[in-house]
Amino acid sequence: MSTKFSFQKGYRARAVFVILNAIFFIFMMVCMIVPIIKILSDSLMNHTVYGMKLIPDEINGIAYKYIFSQDSLRRPLVVSVYTTLMTTFLGLLISTIGAYILIQREMPGVKFFGYMLMFTMIFNGGLIPTFLVMKKLKLLNTLWAVILPMALNVSNLVLMRSFFEGLPKSLFEAAEIDGCTPIGTFIKIVLPLSKAALASIGLFFAVAAWSEYFHYVMYISDTKKYNFQYKLRDLFADKQAGDGEGTNINIKTLQSAAIIVSIVPFMFIYPFCQKYFMTGITMGAVKE
Amino acid sequence: MATNTDAIVVKKPPLSVMLYKYRYFYLMSIPVVVLLLLFYYWPMLGIRYAFSTYKLKHITSGKGPDYSTGFGNFKALLSDRFFTDSFRNTIALSFWNLVFATVFTVVVALLINELQHEWGKKFVQTVLYLPHFLSWVVVASIFTLLLSAGSDFTGKDTSNVGFINAIFLNLGLISQPKAFLTDTSTWRPCWYIIQRWKETGWGTIIYLAALSGISPDLYEAAEIDGAGRLKQTWYITLPSLMNTILIVFILNLAKILNVFESVFVLYNDLVLSVSDVIQTYTYRKGIQGNDYGYATAIGLFKSVISLFLVTGADYVAKRIRGYGIV
Repeated sequence: MSTKFSFQKGYRARAVFVILNAIFFIFMMVCMIVPIIKILSDSLMNHTVYGMKLIPDEINGIAYKYIFSQDSLRRPLVVSVYTTLMTTFLGLLISTIGAYILIQREMPGVKFFGYMLMFTMIFNGGLIPTFLVMKKLKLLNTLWAVILPMALNVSNLVLMRSFFEGLPKSLFEAAEIDGCTPIGTFIKIVLPLSKAALASIGLFFAVAAWSEYFHYVMYISDTKKYNFQYKLRDLFADKQAGDGEGTNINIKTLQSAAIIVSIVPFMFIYPFCQKYFMTGITMGAVKE
Repeated sequence: MATNTDAIVVKKPPLSVMLYKYRYFYLMSIPVVVLLLLFYYWPMLGIRYAFSTYKLKHITSGKGPDYSTGFGNFKALLSDRFFTDSFRNTIALSFWNLVFATVFTVVVALLINELQHEWGKKFVQTVLYLPHFLSWVVVASIFTLLLSAGSDFTGKDTSNVGFINAIFLNLGLISQPKAFLTDTSTWRPCWYIIQRWKETGWGTIIYLAALSGISPDLYEAAEIDGAGRLKQTWYITLPSLMNTILIVFILNLAKILNVFESVFVLYNDLVLSVSDVIQTYTYRKGIQGNDYGYATAIGLFKSVISLFLVTGADYVAKRIRGYGIV
């Protein structure tokens, strides 16, 4: 493939293409970034009129101060942090255990266990029966109704299994000969060797848990147990709970600041963890 | 005759020995199995509610569902205009989204592949992948603000409009602010565009992986034969990508009825006729309306069709690339 960049005859069409292509991607990047810049800039200006201003003409953190001082906005943030940590921890626990069992090819019943997991990917009871089960288990209005279903994520479990399958078989045999119990092998050999997998899948769980919204809509009606995503959505509702009332904070400034607060943790880790997010996407199967 | 070979075959130990050998694994599997049974298999038993009348009063009175209706819910379903509308909307939204996604994502992937500057390419990818990680609630919130038509509903005060309305007004494309997300004629285009904004970059990953797998020999041979860049793309790159495109398309086709959260956070009562999908209707009927029997019937209708679609997709995927999707 010729890579020479020149406007001489014979290379001209290629050079024009390269320039147009660059312009296209600059345009694409602007489309991706400008909405976020705009929200960030609006969140810092406590005006009622924003128009097309992309750079704030004042830096006013009043909306942020409000979010972190007001109980109705701070509590959802705490709920978000708590459920994210819990879901990530339990999710990794369940995925690693499940994956470790799935690689025991000789274990009686392991195939059936695999089929049982797989079947959930193609068929489920649906919204209402699941809701009624939650009701029977008395989990409605508890954060377990959000955490537990998310902790058993079959696609993450299957992904973990493919990582484990890459570990050398001889290690397991050596551990067995040395008298290591399966649980010992799991803790002392499997887990330390899969740090990259734990990081990737842990990130998947964390991002999913932080972004979760629907489980709260379904199972939580106690306003004290909403997470920040739910609260953010609530700020846009017609009959919102009166946040920002009695202050001079413009509701759009507050909404913008809440958006920024909910994406900031992710923005910090994203540039450093991009390679972890990428793992699994191209691993053999096309998994969402 | 067969005795000679029998001697070589290692005999499998009896089941009891195997069960004992793996006893720790069975112990470890308990939490996984419990969660699986509680949150996935127990709800499947609830499918029976689809054949019953089951409302809030049946729960409060402690009587439980009334099964005398049989297939009544399904009969009612087919003549329920809201259901048929939601079914039609689901198909239309998912299908067009899938078409736009396929075309746009493949083109963007091909163009990313043409970027020569290694660092620039990485940077472009990093930026384009970013929106994928924003939750639907955040994306909906961002676009609700950007597309806002201002708080003055008379449309005369244009000072308070969102970013996009401000741009359109300045360019003279519209004469007064437009409430894009509450207008039945603009809701769907907005939804398609927001979908592309969020998912295009991420969708290119699978195609870029396939592109990097195409042998450079093919291009060298084509160049020797005098084929230009366009011809190389048309005769080598696209045919090599065809399998991946087809697989991704089929997999997404199988999920065509699953569209939910993106609609749920962006729709509103004013645009119900063009945006209500099966899942949102199920939610409104079951959770807000407490009509559990009927809502379960809607859900079951969807699940059964989805099951056929996924099984079909699995079969086709096996034929194309040798292994299925589940």
